[in-house]
Amino acid sequence: MSEVILEAKNVYLSFHGVAALVNVSFEVRKGEIFSIIGPNGAGKTCMMNCINGLYRPQKGTLFFKGREITHLSPHRRAELGISRTFQKIELFGGMTVLDNIRLGRHMHLKSGIISSSIYWGKTQREEIRARRFIEEEIIDLLEIEAVRNEVTGMLPYGLQKRIELARALALQPEVILLDEPLAGLNLEEVEDMARFILDINEDERWKVTCVLVEHDMGVVMDLSDRVMTLNFGVKIAEGTPEEVQEDPEVIKAYLGEVEDLYVSRR
Amino acid sequence: MSYLPCGSYFDSYREEQKWWRTPFIKGKMVLMVVLALALPYLVSGEWMSVAYTINYYILAALGVQLLIGYCGQITLGHAAFVAVGAYCSSMMVLFLPWPQPIVDAGLAYPISLICAGLLAGIWSVLFGLPSARVKGFYLIMTTMAAQWVTVPLVITQYVSQIGGRGHYFSLPPGTIKVGPWLIDSDTKIYYLSVFLVALCLLAMGNIARSRLGRAWVAIRDNDIAAETMGVNIVWYKLLAFFVAGFFGGVAGAFYITALSFVSPEHYEWFFSLLWVGIILIGGVGSIQGIVFGSIFVVMVFKLLEMGVLGLSGVLMESYPHLGWVTTKIIFFKEAAFGMAIIFFLMYEPNGLAYRYWQLKNYFNLWPFSYTGKGH
Ligand SMILES: Nc1ncnc2c1ncn2[C@@H]1O[C@H](COP(=O)(O)OP(=O)(O)OP(=O)(O)O)[C@@H](O)[C@H]1O
Ligand SMILES: [Mg+2]
Repeated sequence: MSEVILEAKNVYLSFHGVAALVNVSFEVRKGEIFSIIGPNGAGKTCMMNCINGLYRPQKGTLFFKGREITHLSPHRRAELGISRTFQKIELFGGMTVLDNIRLGRHMHLKSGIISSSIYWGKTQREEIRARRFIEEEIIDLLEIEAVRNEVTGMLPYGLQKRIELARALALQPEVILLDEPLAGLNLEEVEDMARFILDINEDERWKVTCVLVEHDMGVVMDLSDRVMTLNFGVKIAEGTPEEVQEDPEVIKAYLGEVEDLYVSRR
Repeated sequence: MSYLPCGSYFDSYREEQKWWRTPFIKGKMVLMVVLALALPYLVSGEWMSVAYTINYYILAALGVQLLIGYCGQITLGHAAFVAVGAYCSSMMVLFLPWPQPIVDAGLAYPISLICAGLLAGIWSVLFGLPSARVKGFYLIMTTMAAQWVTVPLVITQYVSQIGGRGHYFSLPPGTIKVGPWLIDSDTKIYYLSVFLVALCLLAMGNIARSRLGRAWVAIRDNDIAAETMGVNIVWYKLLAFFVAGFFGGVAGAFYITALSFVSPEHYEWFFSLLWVGIILIGGVGSIQGIVFGSIFVVMVFKLLEMGVLGLSGVLMESYPHLGWVTTKIIFFKEAAFGMAIIFFLMYEPNGLAYRYWQLKNYFNLWPFSYTGKGH
């Protein structure tokens, strides 16, 4: 069993007294795909936001590679190696695809104000190195060659989702949080996206640990190593996909949404 | 190959990421430089002051463009930083006991220009601090505070009193020396302005295409995503305020060469608005837009002025009793500026830079022209 890379201990989060997460604890192991499922409003996105620092839990602690990160700001956590995509697309709409991905490499670039304004030399070499990495590792992998110079705001939804993944990968993160990467995609796009997730998880050069939030049970059960279920902010089950599927609590939580659990496409 | 061919034809990323990618574009740039340098020989002296005023507005609006167009931080107090630069530079030149070798080498003013930029940058950061907490409308109010605190209060009430002159610092022609050149004519002022504009636009263009510029645009487009991708947004906002203030300070320090005295009314709130207007007209978020906007505004002012003066001359001659009309239409300038902004916001929200881009595309694709009707 490999080491724990991300750990949440008794995370409690509430909005104006309404609890969104109630003492949730879990561990994510290095190299796995760990999924969080649950009905709408269960607190999955809140959990993601706590991990990446957009929300501060009122109680509880978060550890990343054994280090406490509860009080770090989102950009510090990004620098440590936590990246993410969003449920509602949050791209930089006025920038080109390439610039969106370049921005993801922000923390790997070092040039300051003086060398940037001269550009020649250091900054130029750095930019070209970044460009090569983006072209060879990311654009090639995610098959977005054709749109690299398009403005992202104009692109179709499915492509935008893919570009969010590309931008998140540009950080070369150790953990990537994927918040409903398949929502709103058509069947072909779902297959592509699932393949990309497997690629970045298994490929020797990436080996990214994935925390996946998804409603598409078919894909979740296929991809995940372990699954955690939330309901009204409470963790009700955790285990392998088979264990979770059989769990009576989980079945009850999904009652009325039974088809959701067994039919892969909504 | 003189045109940019369809599709990507570059052999290396280095080639593709260049600014001036074809001999044609390079030729165009060289032509522009030659034109800028030859201008004093092409037009009469009266137009020199118009030309350097355009350059002054470019320098001043550069910082506004950086803050509004790139970083999304709306500012309505930029004249404050230009004023800080102007006062810093003129006071350094007038009052500092420069060692004789430095004065002889003509370095006093260049040094003061850089100090003016730095001081204005720091001053700008002070008023940018609230941007860490507030956005949008509230930030506009704090940047307006920069104007009111700096010009009517600090500069008028305190700084202007230094040296006992009470109201202004006079800068007799010949005070300012850059290297071996005494800046004592409109043509020399113009050349200085061309040099500074070229330097600042080049710096700004380079910053815009490196990590700093991308971080700013990211903050403008989506600050939450920017922070998630590892951008320290507070730091980068303050950096934007610093650089914008720096450019403002340089603008102010430059313009003292054209003034016979520095006084608070050169930095009234109207100018803060004017420079925002320039980027609205030229195109928000575009470096070319600053140039187009400045040219447009200054030229419109100049032409109106000529028109009004000519008209009043005719009026006075033939109908002496109608002289009062002149005093009324003299205020058309500001009104025309206001109308121009309304017009651009309504009919050309992307500004002149976008028109230019369309025109360029039209000729690039010629004869298969398609300009995208419906815009
Ligand atoms: N910023 C906020 N302010 C107030 N309440 C919030 C906020 N964010 C989330 N909540 C509440 O917290 C609860 C959990 O929301 P969350 O977005 O985490 O659900 P989810 O599991 O991601 O659901 P979905 O599957 O619909 O995405 C919801 O009841 C939601 O209304
Ligand atoms: Mg959600």
